[in-house]
Amino acid sequence: MRTRGSKAQGSVLLWTVVTIAILSLLGAEVLRLVAIKYGHALQTATWQEALLGAESGIDLAIMELRKSLFPAPNHAWDGWNNIPGNGVTSYGLTTIPNAGLAGTPMTIEVNVDAPAALIDSNGWQYYRIRTVGTMPITGPARVTDNKQDTRLRKLSLRWERFTNGVLTQHAISAPQVSRRAEAIVRPVSAFGQAIMSRGPLDLTNQNIVVDSYDSRDSTKSTNGLYDPAKRQQNGNIATNGNLVAAGNAYIYGDVSTNAGTVSGAANITGFQRTDFYQDLMIIQAPSWPSVNASPATVTQTTTINASATKNSAASRYILNQISLSGSNTLTIAGAANGSPTYVDIYVSGNISVSGSSQIQINPGVTATIYFKGNVTIAGNGMVNSNNQPGDLRLYGIPPTGDPDQTGDWQGDYSGTGASQVVSLGGNGQISASLYAPSADVTINGGGTSGHVFGSVVGKSVKMTGVTNLHYDEALASSGLIGNYKIVSWFEDNRDSRSH
Amino acid sequence: MNSRFCTRAARGRTKRDAGGFSLSEVMISSLIFSAIAMGLLMAFTALEHNYAATSDFALNHADQMRISDYLALDLRRALSVQAARNDTSIYIPNYYDANGNPQTPVLDQNGGVYYGALGSSVKVHYYLSAGTIYRQKDNATPTALATNVQDFIFDVTDAGKVVSTKITFNPTFRSSGPAAGDPNAATAFYNTTLLRNKRTDNQIGVY
Repeated sequence: MRTRGSKAQGSVLLWTVVTIAILSLLGAEVLRLVAIKYGHALQTATWQEALLGAESGIDLAIMELRKSLFPAPNHAWDGWNNIPGNGVTSYGLTTIPNAGLAGTPMTIEVNVDAPAALIDSNGWQYYRIRTVGTMPITGPARVTDNKQDTRLRKLSLRWERFTNGVLTQHAISAPQVSRRAEAIVRPVSAFGQAIMSRGPLDLTNQNIVVDSYDSRDSTKSTNGLYDPAKRQQNGNIATNGNLVAAGNAYIYGDVSTNAGTVSGAANITGFQRTDFYQDLMIIQAPSWPSVNASPATVTQTTTINASATKNSAASRYILNQISLSGSNTLTIAGAANGSPTYVDIYVSGNISVSGSSQIQINPGVTATIYFKGNVTIAGNGMVNSNNQPGDLRLYGIPPTGDPDQTGDWQGDYSGTGASQVVSLGGNGQISASLYAPSADVTINGGGTSGHVFGSVVGKSVKMTGVTNLHYDEALASSGLIGNYKIVSWFEDNRDSRSH
Repeated sequence: MNSRFCTRAARGRTKRDAGGFSLSEVMISSLIFSAIAMGLLMAFTALEHNYAATSDFALNHADQMRISDYLALDLRRALSVQAARNDTSIYIPNYYDANGNPQTPVLDQNGGVYYGALGSSVKVHYYLSAGTIYRQKDNATPTALATNVQDFIFDVTDAGKVVSTKITFNPTFRSSGPAAGDPNAATAFYNTTLLRNKRTDNQIGVY
């Protein structure tokens, strides 16, 4: 009996051991497979996050470029080793804490330079941004079982694969993955939209038509002038606020709000977007070293002479006001033959035109008028003989410097600054570009035709009696730089061993 | 009596032990062993099939991810796209020179940026051929991204500013129930990519 019992117990033990062994082998194999797949998934996720880091580097650089548009002190490039430009490359290194992945931080390296080859015909400098986002790999330093994964993701497990002389070398003490991108950004004019406002935008007074043309392109204009047969669909309007009262206007373009609503949107041909926001640059009063001595004020019929030399003392005037009434006329005279001449006028007070008075800008003159007070144009209006809105630019300076009173220019126009009033109207046809982000702007009339040519930027914008606003797309490539945007993007995924 | 009887009985058992199991015992035990062996065999066979199918799915999924990531990499920097099932061409900037180094960007007359010769680009061709999905840059030797994928289908849907990809394969596991749908559809791996550059084949800009 003892012998047979021992044999039976031995068989059970043997079967148990064999079964456990088989199950253990199966479990080990499953665990091995799962571990490989988990490691692969982790490496892939880390590789994806590295691209987020690289693209964040582009955002960081654009943010610094935008800051540099504000008057000093704007704190642009604080913490970077240089200010880019004239062959100088700026370099920034940022680490971002990471709650996951064992708290390992993401590293972002950014280089910004201003190649001479990237200056356009306007003299605007484009910037090249090269950035590398690096994420540590928290799993084991093990390659995946498919070499194509390695070719694609270029994990730096034992050695640094991003040391091709482009950016600063990394000392690799732990596995990591990097991704590298290059973006070219170009300046964008403050006149990038047909109408833009910080607050409400009201087009309800008339069944207004907003469209565009391009005075540089004969297929989109005739002799540089608007031609309804060549109408373009870039008459975009936008607000940083949340209300566009379109009033069923025929808008040949996009309408954008900042998480807002568009009422009367039946005749909008483009997109309606709710993700718009664009910081509006502040303009400071000019600080010219020398100007024309007279006139210092304009209250009677007066002639101001433009100069053939741009940005010269002969082309600059500082006036404390322009106040015309009766039949007085301010003439801005250029060359007799209409050849190009230039004038810059800074008006520290108000500008008003009433009665049958007017401001006459003669042929060939490109006029830039800065104003710190209110503007009321009525009477015979402001006549731009060139009929090119790019030849008459009106820039509003905040009536009180540093509107949010924080000691710098960041975050201004947040609603705490004093406001201006700008009212453009009169019997003359309006052909101008207006940038007055601290002003409540009203466009009245547009002359007998009701047509306005140009672009309008204001704190709020209201159209009264205007039937047509034609945006000249050429304005987007000149004048005040208001932003930067990406025009080229490339992920550089070569490494030092294989291109 | 008792002692004799016991002795005889004990002798009888010893004699039976020495003679082996009875036929019924052998048949029953054989039946049990066969049933257990059959069960084990079936279990291991099923386990093996399961393992093979799971491995196949995992491998195919890894292939899907790789192909999708390659497509997304090129789509992100694309200038133009020609989308078709299992045959898609993506044109990217001519960023590298002949030595594989980055070129200096240049501006065209309209303020656009290009690399290399004006109007040039690099064609990246994705296609399925003889059970392998290839990626070919211009006329260079094609690179096999995934092999033994004759059952793969990659669809590229061009929506202008964004391009979506969908990759499916024929899974080993299939449901036979009445609610079983297209087994390939259940394996679909989707990706939607925002094109960063302004396209040259249509006038839809991204930024």
